[in-house]
Amino acid sequence: MEEDIDTRKINNSFLRDHSYATEADIISTVEFNHTGELLATGDKGGRVVIFQREQESKNQVHRRGEYNVYSTFQSHEPEFDYLKSLEIEEKINKIRWLPQQNAAYFLLSTNDKTVKLWKVSERDKRPEGYNLKDEEGRLRDPATITSLRVPVLRPMDLMVEAAPRRVFANAHTYHINSISVNSDYETYMSADDLRINLWNFEITNQSFSILSWGPRTGWLERRVLSSFQPHQCRNLYLLSYPKHLLAWHHQQAQPRVFEEPEDPSNRSFFSEIISSISDVKFSHSGRYIMTRDYLTVKVWDLNMENRPIETYQVHDYLRSKLCSLYENDCIFDKFECVWNGSDSVIMTGSYNNFFRMFDRNTKRDVTLEASRENSKPRAILKPRKVCVGGKRRKDEISVDSLDFSKKILHTAWHPSENIIAVAATNNLYIFQDKVN
Amino acid sequence: MEVQKEAQRIMTLSVWKMYHSRMQRGGLRLHRSLQLSLVMRSARELYLSAKVETHEPEVPLPPARSPDPRLHPPREAEAAAKAAAPDGEPPSPEPMDTQEAPRIEETLAPCAPRPAKVSRKRRSSSLSDGGDPALVPSKKARLEEEEEEEGASSEVLDRLQPPPAQAEGAFPNLARVLQRRFSGLLNCSPAAAPTAPPACEAKPACRPADNMLNVLVRAVVAF
Repeated sequence: MEEDIDTRKINNSFLRDHSYATEADIISTVEFNHTGELLATGDKGGRVVIFQREQESKNQVHRRGEYNVYSTFQSHEPEFDYLKSLEIEEKINKIRWLPQQNAAYFLLSTNDKTVKLWKVSERDKRPEGYNLKDEEGRLRDPATITSLRVPVLRPMDLMVEAAPRRVFANAHTYHINSISVNSDYETYMSADDLRINLWNFEITNQSFSILSWGPRTGWLERRVLSSFQPHQCRNLYLLSYPKHLLAWHHQQAQPRVFEEPEDPSNRSFFSEIISSISDVKFSHSGRYIMTRDYLTVKVWDLNMENRPIETYQVHDYLRSKLCSLYENDCIFDKFECVWNGSDSVIMTGSYNNFFRMFDRNTKRDVTLEASRENSKPRAILKPRKVCVGGKRRKDEISVDSLDFSKKILHTAWHPSENIIAVAATNNLYIFQDKVN
Repeated sequence: MEVQKEAQRIMTLSVWKMYHSRMQRGGLRLHRSLQLSLVMRSARELYLSAKVETHEPEVPLPPARSPDPRLHPPREAEAAAKAAAPDGEPPSPEPMDTQEAPRIEETLAPCAPRPAKVSRKRRSSSLSDGGDPALVPSKKARLEEEEEEEGASSEVLDRLQPPPAQAEGAFPNLARVLQRRFSGLLNCSPAAAPTAPPACEAKPACRPADNMLNVLVRAVVAF
């Protein structure tokens, strides 16, 4: 696995005034589009920032395509549900790109209750030479017009506009945690804790509930949906529940259940919480499933349901600290996990701005840190190590010095290249493979 | 003993978190609330079983924990209340309906001359040895006295506000009592803001027997 990584960081907090609290800048989701040309981030303040990769120029061979801000827009605003006297957060929970079909880009973004379809388009020409309007757009007095001319399109500075095209609201009682576009590109699904709705892009006032648990269902803690992922090629839907996964082929009546038997020796007050699946992802090939729970990442083979084929410890040194992590609420953190393009490496985040990569073939793993002090542009990231007790070596960091407020929950991997995007609180880091 | 203390701490913490999750923006998070209630229940079970082992068993404790408390808190409370009522002792600290309170007050009267130690035994899931006002509303008046008695020995009470002699009448504000209790027990929690949220104070005074935990548990069930 490539350990030498060229670094470049993009700090998007410059977009907001630094004088007040930047909690709104906390990045809540990161997503590459299908080609990897665009990278979208959503934050707690309801904004979406899209980065675009520079075209690689022939002149600067060593300068690989870097990502620059392409568009910024306010996707969701805080709302108030008067019926329940509840504030609806504007935080963006998920962004999903639609495949590109014309010059414009389309994406779905969602907060807890409402999904929106956004169109992002470029404008680099503008018409000039109107007859009835002057340059500022003010109407001219027709009496002053003595001749007619044909307006022409003149080039202008590139302007990227984002416009909401559809708003899908009022279909979820609980908080939306996933959205996914179906392979027909005409419908998509949104999932909250107890329900999955099917939408048509063209129809905003109607959705079909294809799965729904009532709140009075028994064993509710087992039935809360934490994530929902379809795999387009195989027509498989993956539903992740706290303790198990369901893989459902839409033509089959019965889903397949993936569940690992619990280890009774590890039981504690918090066993339920830490074994709860927080994220699930199909591999690109569709053959494997990856699940993330609080302390581990597991890879499952679609053909074997009784246990995972691989288990990776992300930060097992936290196992003895569960009580304090419960106190400071960190035990509820929902980490995500991602595959690389070839399904050979998996990546997930941890605390202290650390993130971990596991090479499935060589079984090597590495811990890296996303922080300004440790990454200068084009510097190579140094592997980090957490000392679990006994003597601490010079470069190691002890478990007690870890900063639990610096957590990396959201990461993304370019669909085909070794470029990763890591969201560390309100900073976005983009790392690339080193060019030799 | 350590196990009991730990279980008690976790139980209190869970209750506090559940209460506070109502205040947060975006409303209650279903999964988190469920996980909190699970932890609370397992902590409570452990605490109870540890307590049963350490104290002489005078009255068999109601096994009312097992039926799903999320779905049947009133029923469970009634069962627990009935089980303990024959002894003329205050019932178990399960959340209770308002109408239970007057009956319990009556049964409480005969207990008044008894020392704090005996009543402690009765309350099987009290959050501390001094008894927990939040779980047994009818004991409020009595508990204020108990807290004064134990003032010296408990580190928890070091952090209590001035003696409850200032409490108004026989029904001091339940929320304030709960706040005092929590502020002591949660002094180690960095994230915890020990003062009860303003909504506590806003609870209408016309429902003095309203049980905060009752409200909490119902909130968990009601969505």
